[in-house]
Amino acid sequence: MSDISKSIPKSDSAGKIAGETIYIGDMVLDDMLHAMTLRSVHAKARIKSIRLPEMPEGYFIVDHRDIPGDNCVNIIFDDMPVFADGKVNYIGEPILLAAGPKRKKVKEIIDSIEVEYEPSEPVFGYSKSVVHHEFEKGDAASVFCKAERIIKGSYSTGYQEHIYMEPQGVIGLYEDNKTTVIGSMQCPYYIKNAVVRTLGTGQENVRVIQAATGGAFGGKEEFPSLMGCQAAVAANKTGKPIKLIYERTEDIETTTKRHPSRIDFEAAAGEDGSIEALRVRVFLDSGAYIGLSGVVLQRAMIAASGVYTISNLSVSGDVYETNTVPNGAFRGFGAPQMFFAIEMFIHHFAIETGQDPLALRKRHLASMGDPTSTGGTFRDPIIMGDMIQKAIDMSGYDEKIAEYSKPGDHRGIGMSWVLHGCGFTGSGEQKHIKAVVRLRKEKDDMVTILAANTEMGQGAMTTLRKIAAGVLGIPIEKVIYNNPDTDLVPDSGPTVASRTVMIVGGLIARAARQLKEKWVPGKEILVEERYRQPDYIEWDEDKLRGDAYPAYSWGVNVVEVEVSPVTYEVDLKGIWAVYDIGKAIDERIIIGQAEGGLSQGISYGMTEVMECREGRIQQRNMTDYIIPTAGDCIPMEIVIMDNPYPLGPYGAKGAGELPLVGGAPAVALAIENAIGKRIDRIPATPEYIMELMENG
Amino acid sequence: MVRSYIPKSYGEALDILSKGDLTIMAGGTDLMVKKRNRAGLLPSFQKDVLFLSGIKELSYINKENSSVRIGSMTTLEEILYSKQIPSLLREAAAIMASPGIRHTATLGGNIGNASPAGDTLPVLYLYNAMIIIESKRQTREVPIEEFITGPGRTTFGPGELIKEIVLEEAKFNVLYYKKIGGRKTDAISKVSFAAGAFARNGIVEDIRMAFGAVSPRVARDRGIEDSIKGTPAAGILDLAEEIRNGYGNIINPIDDQRSNAKYRKKCCMNMIDDFLGKVFAEQ
Ligand SMILES: Cc1cc2nc3c(=O)[nH]c(=O)nc-3n(C[C@H](O)[C@H](O)[C@H](O)COP(=O)(O)OP(=O)(O)OC[C@H]3O[C@@H](n4cnc5c(N)ncnc54)[C@H](O)[C@@H]3O)c2cc1C
Repeated sequence: MSDISKSIPKSDSAGKIAGETIYIGDMVLDDMLHAMTLRSVHAKARIKSIRLPEMPEGYFIVDHRDIPGDNCVNIIFDDMPVFADGKVNYIGEPILLAAGPKRKKVKEIIDSIEVEYEPSEPVFGYSKSVVHHEFEKGDAASVFCKAERIIKGSYSTGYQEHIYMEPQGVIGLYEDNKTTVIGSMQCPYYIKNAVVRTLGTGQENVRVIQAATGGAFGGKEEFPSLMGCQAAVAANKTGKPIKLIYERTEDIETTTKRHPSRIDFEAAAGEDGSIEALRVRVFLDSGAYIGLSGVVLQRAMIAASGVYTISNLSVSGDVYETNTVPNGAFRGFGAPQMFFAIEMFIHHFAIETGQDPLALRKRHLASMGDPTSTGGTFRDPIIMGDMIQKAIDMSGYDEKIAEYSKPGDHRGIGMSWVLHGCGFTGSGEQKHIKAVVRLRKEKDDMVTILAANTEMGQGAMTTLRKIAAGVLGIPIEKVIYNNPDTDLVPDSGPTVASRTVMIVGGLIARAARQLKEKWVPGKEILVEERYRQPDYIEWDEDKLRGDAYPAYSWGVNVVEVEVSPVTYEVDLKGIWAVYDIGKAIDERIIIGQAEGGLSQGISYGMTEVMECREGRIQQRNMTDYIIPTAGDCIPMEIVIMDNPYPLGPYGAKGAGELPLVGGAPAVALAIENAIGKRIDRIPATPEYIMELMENG
Repeated sequence: MVRSYIPKSYGEALDILSKGDLTIMAGGTDLMVKKRNRAGLLPSFQKDVLFLSGIKELSYINKENSSVRIGSMTTLEEILYSKQIPSLLREAAAIMASPGIRHTATLGGNIGNASPAGDTLPVLYLYNAMIIIESKRQTREVPIEEFITGPGRTTFGPGELIKEIVLEEAKFNVLYYKKIGGRKTDAISKVSFAAGAFARNGIVEDIRMAFGAVSPRVARDRGIEDSIKGTPAAGILDLAEEIRNGYGNIINPIDDQRSNAKYRKKCCMNMIDDFLGKVFAEQ
């Protein structure tokens, strides 16, 4: 086979382009009932009573009393109920489902239910800590004691909503003692485990099937478990297929989002201008339930020193509960918040101490063999020096920054450096996920990949097939990858954390090697591989010490802007990026991830405004929650480096999240350069830029 | 049960309108959003609906003497590409919505919707647009300033519809149009501004300014305009503060989920300055 990176048509494209792909919203089953959700209108209240209308024949109400097992959605931290039981903790919290054959009637039922609430004082802001972590590297405390000069900075970031093209949706059905959930999702086994628990039943009685999934961005990591449990309970109660599909507005208002954050820094400046010690404090808003916020916090904290080596580090962080819609997984998972903050801070530190930011950053840039923030080791070659030079050459950064820094020039250029730890944090893969994959060869020599990972538009299906076909040395057409069905595939783990190609692809490559050795034409053969953590990895989950990730992907992003002094609007003028993701398994797919991710990161940094007032989301539709259109995007120049990672398939590392992570700091630094004023929060909207330009 | 009427001719449309209280649907790009229901359910129209967009007789752009007559069912895309249309209106059409919407959205609909953020409106105000309203019984002509009385409110009587829009000729040698939205396409204006001036031999003979999305109706003040007319272009920047203060009194933007009052007002003031600077340069 020729170079694996050479692009091939994506497996899922033809059906999508032809409009033939069946999404969950398109599925119609016999006897199917439509379900709608009754939701809390208070941020915090006790439910005193619920008055139901007279129910017509064939219509049902499903609530917490119908749950045979735990009224708790299984997501790392067990605090979110499947249906509210006597109290509500955020506006939009699901109380019950109404279901029936006609959507119109179901809506009338929902509209006529009367709930009597006894509201109480909701909690907002960073006041009620529910998770705390901290870790140290070196001895920051004694450096601070002796420090001559301490520089401070405080940065805040807003919500980000996924706006996957297809809103959330599932169908639950119950047949012959077995409950099946079909839906738009990233993690079939998460839903399966959640449904097993909520139904209080055995693993063998629950089956989860992924339907074609129209985008996810992390929004379909843990959230579908809630809907899956609700639909499963409803299907068990009624004995009929239950279809639960969200409207766009409902989806925006009530599903998880990126955690708003505040990050405070204190840095002790050494005599030579370097950062001798860094103290970092992270505040994350989890919304009403913790869910996986503690893990998001960890990823943010571990990234506290960015791509820089800082010898003395003291990091602490808290997750704060508020009476707002729960926040959850989103591409980058805590890293986008931290990289915005650290990249701004190192600039601000340099400027305050009278240094060239680029020179300071280069001085602290991590190299191979350096200890990581958590005292692990960067074991693999770091080629950031080359990458930075490439980005500078492509973009003309040096000349431009000199020119644009002149007073009165409203053009600006900014550069961010990022890394992203690939796969689960710490020993997550080994201890919690324990991925298994199988390959099955049929008599006709077709090979099926048996794994639970999902195609959501990102190219997993194509990439994983390519890896198997490449190792086996057979044409790609001979390798099959179907949407996962938990009755047919083993648990290879969730499709999250930039792990699919590196970890699952790695297992598939190993399984393919095994199969190749055993290959006998015309014979059925089944092979299996299980995840084994590299021996050298050591991680202390409680102290957050050791190697937080098996490998890192790296990126350099440059954004050029022009800010209008009349309207304060930001025009993108140029975008360049250089990424080290080990090896591209398919170049076009990687460029797609890079361009999409970087766009999403840039608009996180300058465009996407979502505010919550008194617990109510203000931007509730796509008119008001602004994401970029094709008209807002400009051509990008992206270079993918070759730096194979020995344990990844063909040398591949993670690529899905990396490009998003550096978008916001690059554009925020560009705006800062354009207006000559310090930016401390994102999104850097025209309204905020006006304040800065007019008031300094 | 709501009934739908699809008339074959303009006459038939007027006939149908004369017999009942109907909702008029042009391109439907505002109406279908307003009447939207949950997915899978029919939109929630309360009245019978008259579909006007197929009436060819209402789709035209004619230059007559010095004015331009535009049929109400002319789409934004047609306006965008017509050489007969003043460039400011074409500019406004060009940054409205996105191509798909522009192919069905009509000029009549933008006026009928009467949103203070309707993007053609400031330009129509600038050209002293007359709205030709017709029913089976009568035809009346109303200046756009009188036709739109508030957000979503117009002076429609029963059985009436917008037949055409007439733009008065205006001679400008300085033109200015800016729409500020949250993004470059498919955005509702936070603020929009249309302005034109005619300066000859160093004297400002005509000057007009109209602001969208910053008050319940498009804001235009002929008193301020008249006070500038006749002054030397070279001295216009000296008047800037007075002019800004004048408009400051009639521009009352709000805080909402798309922007805030302070920003909207500040942008208006900046755009006035920017425009006056261009007039100054024209002397
Ligand atoms: C995605 C999207 C983007 C948009 N972007 C913009 C934008 O950038 N700028 C902007 O200004 N608007 C925008 N709009 C709004 C809309 O497209 C425009 O207002 C358009 O001009 C409406 O025209 P229409 O023919 O679709 O009107 P319709 O929706 O058919 O009608 C609008 C109103 O006018 C009345 N009406 C229509 N025709 C007549 C008539 N002949 N006589 C009497 N009453 C009539 C209707 O009864 C209704 O009340 C956007 C809409 C969408 C969906």
